[in-house]
Amino acid sequence: MKHFSEAELLETYYMQPSEASAIIEHVNGCNDCQDRYRRLAQKLRDVAACPTEKPDTFWTRQRLMIMRAVDNARAQSQRNMRTARVAAAAFLAFVLGGAVVYKSVEPQLKTQPAIVAPAPVASTDDLKVPADPWQSDELKDFGSVVQWETWGESKL
Amino acid sequence: MGSVAIFRVTQINATAPSDSELIARTLGGDGGAFGLLVDRFQRKIYRVAYAIVRNEVEADTVTQDTFIQAYTHLAKFQGRSEFETWLTRIAINRSRDSLRRRRFVSLFTGGDDERPPEGWIEPVDDRPDPEREIMAHQLRAAIEKAQSTLSTQQKLIFRLRHYEDRSLEEIAGLLGLRSGTVRAHLFRAIHKIRKELAEWVTAREDSSNETL
Repeated sequence: MKHFSEAELLETYYMQPSEASAIIEHVNGCNDCQDRYRRLAQKLRDVAACPTEKPDTFWTRQRLMIMRAVDNARAQSQRNMRTARVAAAAFLAFVLGGAVVYKSVEPQLKTQPAIVAPAPVASTDDLKVPADPWQSDELKDFGSVVQWETWGESKL
Repeated sequence: MGSVAIFRVTQINATAPSDSELIARTLGGDGGAFGLLVDRFQRKIYRVAYAIVRNEVEADTVTQDTFIQAYTHLAKFQGRSEFETWLTRIAINRSRDSLRRRRFVSLFTGGDDERPPEGWIEPVDDRPDPEREIMAHQLRAAIEKAQSTLSTQQKLIFRLRHYEDRSLEEIAGLLGLRSGTVRAHLFRAIHKIRKELAEWVTAREDSSNETL
C-alpha cells in the first residue's frame, strides 16, 4: 500500500479535494495516514492561530477612533451639503433675477420697425447719363486727370 | 431556574437590534447605531485584517479604515449580502492595498518586512512540551518565510485559507473571483510553500534521528 508524504497531506489540507479523490479515499482507509493527517492539520491550525486576544481598552480605543473619524466625516458631509445648498440657492436667485431683469428690459429692447415713407420715384426721363463717363459732373473737379486719361486712351 | 436562564438569553437576543435596523438608524442620522455595529464586528474585522497583513499596527489601521469607508458608503449597501460579508470584503481590499504598498516600499528600501529573521526561534517557556513548542515556532517561521516569495494575490488567498480557515468557495465569494481561479492561485502558493517546508521537514527528521 502506498502511503502519502507529509507534503502531499499538506496539499490535501489546504486544497480541500473532494471525498472521491484518491488521497482522501486512502486517508479514510489507512489508520497510519489518518493519524499523520490529523497531527499535521492540528499543527497547522495551531500555527495559524492569530493572537487577536486584546484587552478591552484596545477595542474601546479603536471604537473611539472610528467614531471620531465618523463624526468628522458626518460634519464634513453636512458642511458640503450646506455649501451645495447655498450655491444652488445663489444660482437659482441669479437665474430668476436675470429672468426678471430681462423681462423688464425686454420691451425697450424690442425696437419698433421704422416706417420709412416711400421715396418719390423719379421718372427715368430725369436721369441724364452722359455718354462719356469721364464727362460726368462727379469728375469735373479732376479735369486735368480726366484729360490726361482721355489723351492716353486716344494714343492707344 | 434553568428555564429562566434560557428565557433571559432569548429575551436579550430578541431585543438586540438586527444589522439592517442599525443600518437604517445610521442612515437616519443616529450615530450611536453605527457605534453598535462597530462594537459588533470590530473583532472579526481586525482578525481578518491581521490574518492578511500580519502586523498589529497595520491591522488596527485597516480595521479603522474599513469602518470609516463602510460609514461613508453605507447608502450604497443594498443588502444583497450580509453586512458582515460586505465589511469583510472592504477589509480584504484595504488589507490588499496595504500589502501592495508594503511591497512597493520594499522595492525602494530593498528590504522585505515580511521575512522573519534568520534562525528566528521564540524563547522557550515552561509549558509542558517545549520541544513541540519549538517545532511549532519553526513551522510557523518556515510558513512565514515561504510566504515572502508569493505574489500579493497568492499571499492574500493563502492567508485567508491558512489563518482564517475560509473555504475555497468563501474566498472566491469574498474576492469576487471564480472558484477555479482561487484554486489555481492556492495551488501555486502551496507548491512554493511545500518547497520551503521540505527543508523544514528534512531538518526536523535529521534532528529526530540525532535524538534517537
